[in-house]
Amino acid sequence: MVEKFLAGSAALFGDPITIAIFVFGVIGGMLFGAIPGVSMLTLAAILLPFTADLDPAQGVMLFAVIYCTGTYGGAITAILFNIPGAPENAPTAFDGYPMTRQGKSGKAVGAAVLCSAIGGVASALVMMAATEPLANWAIRNIGPPEIFALVFFGLAVASSVGGRTIWKGWMSVLLGLLIATIGQDPVGGINRYNFGFTDLAAGIAFVPAILGFFAVSEIFVQAEKKATGQYDAPKVGMSFPSVLELWAHKFAVVRSILVGFFCGILPGIGATLAAFMGYGEAVRWSKNKEEFGKGKLEGVISSETANNAATGAAMIPLLALGLPGGALTAMMVAVFQMHDLEPGPLVFYNSPELIWIVFAAMFYANLSILFIGLIETKTILYLLKIPFQFLAPLILLLATIGAYISRGLVLDVMVMFGAGIIGFLLRRTGYSIPGIVLGLILGKIGEQNFAQGMQMVHYDMITYFSRPICTILIIAGTLTLAAGVYRAFSSPKEAG
Amino acid sequence: MGQLTKAHLVEGAAWSLIVVVFFGYSFEFNQSIEIYKFGATGWPRVILLLLLVVTAGNFYYQFRHGSAIQKGRVGIAETDESETDYSDPATLLKVAGVLLTPFIFAYLLKPVGMYSGAPVFIALVIYLFGERRWKWILGITLLIYAILLGLFVVVLNAPLPQGNVSPFYDFSGFILKMNTNLQNLW
Repeated sequence: MVEKFLAGSAALFGDPITIAIFVFGVIGGMLFGAIPGVSMLTLAAILLPFTADLDPAQGVMLFAVIYCTGTYGGAITAILFNIPGAPENAPTAFDGYPMTRQGKSGKAVGAAVLCSAIGGVASALVMMAATEPLANWAIRNIGPPEIFALVFFGLAVASSVGGRTIWKGWMSVLLGLLIATIGQDPVGGINRYNFGFTDLAAGIAFVPAILGFFAVSEIFVQAEKKATGQYDAPKVGMSFPSVLELWAHKFAVVRSILVGFFCGILPGIGATLAAFMGYGEAVRWSKNKEEFGKGKLEGVISSETANNAATGAAMIPLLALGLPGGALTAMMVAVFQMHDLEPGPLVFYNSPELIWIVFAAMFYANLSILFIGLIETKTILYLLKIPFQFLAPLILLLATIGAYISRGLVLDVMVMFGAGIIGFLLRRTGYSIPGIVLGLILGKIGEQNFAQGMQMVHYDMITYFSRPICTILIIAGTLTLAAGVYRAFSSPKEAG
Repeated sequence: MGQLTKAHLVEGAAWSLIVVVFFGYSFEFNQSIEIYKFGATGWPRVILLLLLVVTAGNFYYQFRHGSAIQKGRVGIAETDESETDYSDPATLLKVAGVLLTPFIFAYLLKPVGMYSGAPVFIALVIYLFGERRWKWILGITLLIYAILLGLFVVVLNAPLPQGNVSPFYDFSGFILKMNTNLQNLW
């Protein structure tokens, strides 16, 4: 493995053009991840046609690097502005933004930098060591019933965070699931809920919806505060977390790496569920649960470690099985196809040099997060000093471009602003925006895998539950829901 | 009425309406799928049933406890808890302005295009956010517009809406021609 890694590193750093593409990917991913209103997906969508002119290894490597650094970059906007750069950074905002309000933005961003790097590097190392055996294990043990069970468990966990009550948490997730049913059904291709609009046959696009729910609704919330004189500019805090503070959360880091890696390895699940489950597990194991959501460093650490730990793992189903784990990895499939390649087991035998350049690039990209991230953090924190009336139009305009570019439809821009208004109203009444977004993302995946699983077992529930991983996840999800029901009927109110 | 307020009734009615409308519309695509027993409506109808149950639970909670936050909830931003006073019509107008302006901008993107519409949109948003110094409005508008053109047009060559009505379409053409000339210089 070491020789292959060194050969991949030599190929990466032996060619000036490849180095330039690597550096562009690192900086571009961080920058687009950290600019409120656009995300790494925007950059990837713009760059996709240009990769046809690149060498296949360079093209895939560029997207892999953007994936690593963009996942970290989205944490910056989540912490500073309560606008997650991508859905996988949504749980980071739960505690990151309250820390910014308390003048601890430096600590939150510093922890995000370090933990993203740790999670990403750990994931890259496991990916290099175990892609083939893990892929073989996944082929044997993971099928549609297991993926559906994980989606069920993930949604059960997600409903327990973010809403003012457990009822609102569930309603948020169900609303997301309902929105995900718009468009063609994943089994028979029958149009559902298009309400006479042909453009809706393709469903609600994922990028405009998340931009609307996260970025636009936050702008509206701040606008309301400005209009009512309640606006309070966030404080800039430059102090980084101390080594002791970070060491105190070592178990949270290890737990989140495991959670992130497990979620990442499953096709279709990706970093978003990893972040929610990393955060949910941190809450579950904490002795001070009530401190989460009010500016607890462990919340940022758990979420950011888990989502970056999923990046390396997400490459395993992509490279070994040809199954993308999310939007960006799906674009990587397109890069492969542009060069007449198909990701899958044969890539390891036909193009080993490509695989190891990508592996090496992901390893170094995660290391770059640590060094470039620490350098850029101090500069980025000064974004908080820009008056919001000047930042808001920039964010709205970038979000408009981000929404439009993915499909070239003005309808998507309107969907984005519509989601912004709905998000604004739902936030004012205590619903969970991350819950809606997770429901939206996982809805189609859940339905598709449920249908395939049912067909596999011929609708026999005993066969369905004879699969151990599936059973464990369904039981875990059911227990999470049962605990929620118990709390819903027994716990007294906290505040009026 | 317990702890229920008018807002809770409206909220409950809105959710119930969503369930009714989506359930009613599900008959539009109520087709069987040969290879799948539950058909195209199975999954959405289960979601609607669960949503109805949870809406009833939420209504019951509000009846008992009003808008109180449930004990032990995590990840609730402080912004979610604020109560805003809309007794002043000017406040309502300002917020409505901010909410509607992006929609109008989006609606006009097709005929007007990004290149002509963006500067007006930027200036309007800055104004709606309370900035009244016209030099600042102008300066920041130009700066943001320059960032837009520099990053997405010159560097990334991103395809942005050009509009389909003259003179906006002509202006977009002019900007794109300038960009082509600039690219040719390199």
